[in-house]
Amino acid sequence: MSVMPEPALEHYLLVALLLFAIGVFGVLLRRNTLILMMCLELILAASIVALAAFSRFNATAEAPMMGGNVFVLFIIAIAAAEVAVGLAIIVTLWRRNQTLDVTELTSLKH
Amino acid sequence: MPTTEELQTIVAANNWTAVLPELLLGVLALALLMADAFWPRHRRVILRATMAAQGAVLAYAVVLFLRADPGVVHVYFAGSLVQTQATELMRIFFLASSLLVSHLGWVYLQNRSLPRTEFFHIVLVVTASLMLLVQAGNFVLFFVALETLTIGLFILVAFCRSSRFSLEAALKMLITGAFSSGLLLFGIVLLYGLAGNPLLPGTAEDPLNFAQLGAFLGATGAAGEVNAAQPLALIGAVLILVGVGFKIGAVPFQIWIPDVYQGAPTPVTALLAVASKAGGFFVLHVLLAGPLAPMWDTLFPALAVITALTLLFGNIAPLGQHNVKRLMGLSGVAHAGVLLLGLLAAHTVDWAFAAVLFYLCVYAIASFAVFEVMAHLSPEEDSDQDLTHYTGLMRRHPLLGGVLVIGVGSLAGIPPLAGFIAKALIFVAAFQAGLYALLVVALLGVVVSIYYYFGWMRAAVLREPLEEDPGDGRWYPQPVIAPVAKFVMVLLAVVTVVLGIYQAGLTEVVGLR
Repeated sequence: MSVMPEPALEHYLLVALLLFAIGVFGVLLRRNTLILMMCLELILAASIVALAAFSRFNATAEAPMMGGNVFVLFIIAIAAAEVAVGLAIIVTLWRRNQTLDVTELTSLKH
Repeated sequence: MPTTEELQTIVAANNWTAVLPELLLGVLALALLMADAFWPRHRRVILRATMAAQGAVLAYAVVLFLRADPGVVHVYFAGSLVQTQATELMRIFFLASSLLVSHLGWVYLQNRSLPRTEFFHIVLVVTASLMLLVQAGNFVLFFVALETLTIGLFILVAFCRSSRFSLEAALKMLITGAFSSGLLLFGIVLLYGLAGNPLLPGTAEDPLNFAQLGAFLGATGAAGEVNAAQPLALIGAVLILVGVGFKIGAVPFQIWIPDVYQGAPTPVTALLAVASKAGGFFVLHVLLAGPLAPMWDTLFPALAVITALTLLFGNIAPLGQHNVKRLMGLSGVAHAGVLLLGLLAAHTVDWAFAAVLFYLCVYAIASFAVFEVMAHLSPEEDSDQDLTHYTGLMRRHPLLGGVLVIGVGSLAGIPPLAGFIAKALIFVAAFQAGLYALLVVALLGVVVSIYYYFGWMRAAVLREPLEEDPGDGRWYPQPVIAPVAKFVMVLLAVVTVVLGIYQAGLTEVVGLR
C-alpha cells in the first residue's frame, strides 16, 4: 500500500496557477456574462490558494507569516461584495435586454 | 509568536485619530442613510446638511495639511498607514472632488426620478476609500481600499438603472475592473511568496509591508544574486503595474475608458476622470518610488513604451469624436500620458512629483468646470451628449459658454490658462530628466490636442445657434442654472485663469518652490 506523499508548496502553486490560467483565459475567451463572473472569481480563488500556501510554507519560528492568512479573509469579503454588485448589474441587464451575451452589448458606439 | 511587549507596541501605534477625516466620512455616510430612513420628508435638508458636514471635514483636512511639516513621514498601525504632506494634500483634493461631485449629482439628479441619498452615500464611501488608498503602506489596506473604491464605482456607473447605456457601461467596467484587480492581486501574492521565502537573502518578516518588500527586493545575497532579478519578482511587479495601468487608463489598458465614460451618469464620469485617476497616479508613484524602486532599471523601458503609446493614442483617438463624453474620456488618456511622463521624470528630478500634483489639481479644476457645463446641458438620455448640443452656446448662455471655453482651453493647454503652466512644468521636468524622445511625442500630442479641443470651442463660440428644432435629436436641452451652480462655475473658471497667471499659491502648496 503506497502512502500519499505530503503535498509540497509546488503542488499548491500548480493548482493556483491552473486556477489563474483558467480564469484569465475564460475572461478573455468566453462571452456569457455569468461565466465571466465565475472566471473573475477563479482569479481571486487562485490568489487565495497561493496566499495560504505561501503563508504555510514560508513560516518560520521567527516570522510566522500570519499577514497572508489575514489577507485571505479580506479577499473573501471583497470577492463577496464584488459578486453581489456584479450579479445585481447582470440581473438588471438581463431584465432589460433578455440576453447575457457580451458581444450583443454594442449600444455604446459612436 | 510576538511577545506581550511587542503586541503592546503594535497597539500603541494604532492611532485612530490619524484617520479621523476618513472615520468622519464613514460615520456621515451611515448617518445619512439612517436619517433618510427616519425622515424621508426632509430629504433636501438632510442632503444639504450632508454637504455642509463634508465641507466641515474638508476644512479639518485643510487644517491638518497646514499643520503637516514637509518631509516628515508619520507611520501608524504597524506600517499600514503612511502620512506625508503629499497625502494630506490628496485628502483635500479628494474631499473637494467629492463636494463637487455631490454638487454635480444634485444638479443632475434633480430632473430625474433616481434616488439621491444613495448617490451621496456611495460618493462619501468612495472618497473615504480614496483617502485611505493614497495613505496605504501595506498591501492589505491598499487592496481593500482599492476594491472599496472600484466596487463603489461599479454601483455609481450603473446608477441610471433604467438606461441601457448606463448598465452596459457598468458591466464593461465590472469585467475590466474586476479582471485588473485580479491580476493586481496575483502580482501582490507572487511578491509576498517570494519576499517571505526564508532561503533568500534579506527575507522580509512582513512581506505585505511596502517598506519591507522594497528592502527585500533591494537586497543582494552572498553570491551576488539580486532579489530584484528573480523571475517571480518581475512577473509580480508587471502584474501589479498592469492592474494599476487599467485603473489610470494607460494604453493598452484603456479599452474600457470611452464606453464607461460615455455610459456613466455625468457626475460619475467626473468622479472617474478626476478623483479615481488621481488616486491611481498617486498610488503608482508610491509603488514605483517605494517597494518597486529596486526594479526601476528593468521596468523603465516598459513604462517608457506605455507612456509613448498613451500619449499617441490619447491624442489621435479623440480626432473626429462627436460625443463629448467619449471625447473627455479619450482626451483623459492623453492627460494620463502627460502624467506618466511626469512620474518617469520624478525618478531623477526631485521636484517632478510636485509638478505632477500641480497638474492633477489644475486638471481637476478645469475638468470640473467642463463637467459642470455638461451636467447642465445633458439631455434626457445622458449618454447622447453631442457636439451639436453646444452649437452657439456662447450666445444662448454666455455663462455656460464662457466657463466651457476656459475649461476646455485649460485642458488643451492654451496660454495664459493654468493648463499651459501645468504642462510646461511637466515638460521642463522631463527635459531635466533627459527623456527627450518622450518629450517630443508629448509636444506633438499637445499640438494635436489643441485641434480637437478647438473643434469643441468652435461649436460653442463661432457657430450660430439653431433657430428651430430640426427634429433629429440635435435640439438643445434647456438648462436651468441655480445660483449655487453659477457660483461654483465662476469660481472654477476664475481659479483656472488666475492659476495661469499667478501660480505661487498652489505651487507652494504642492511643494514646488
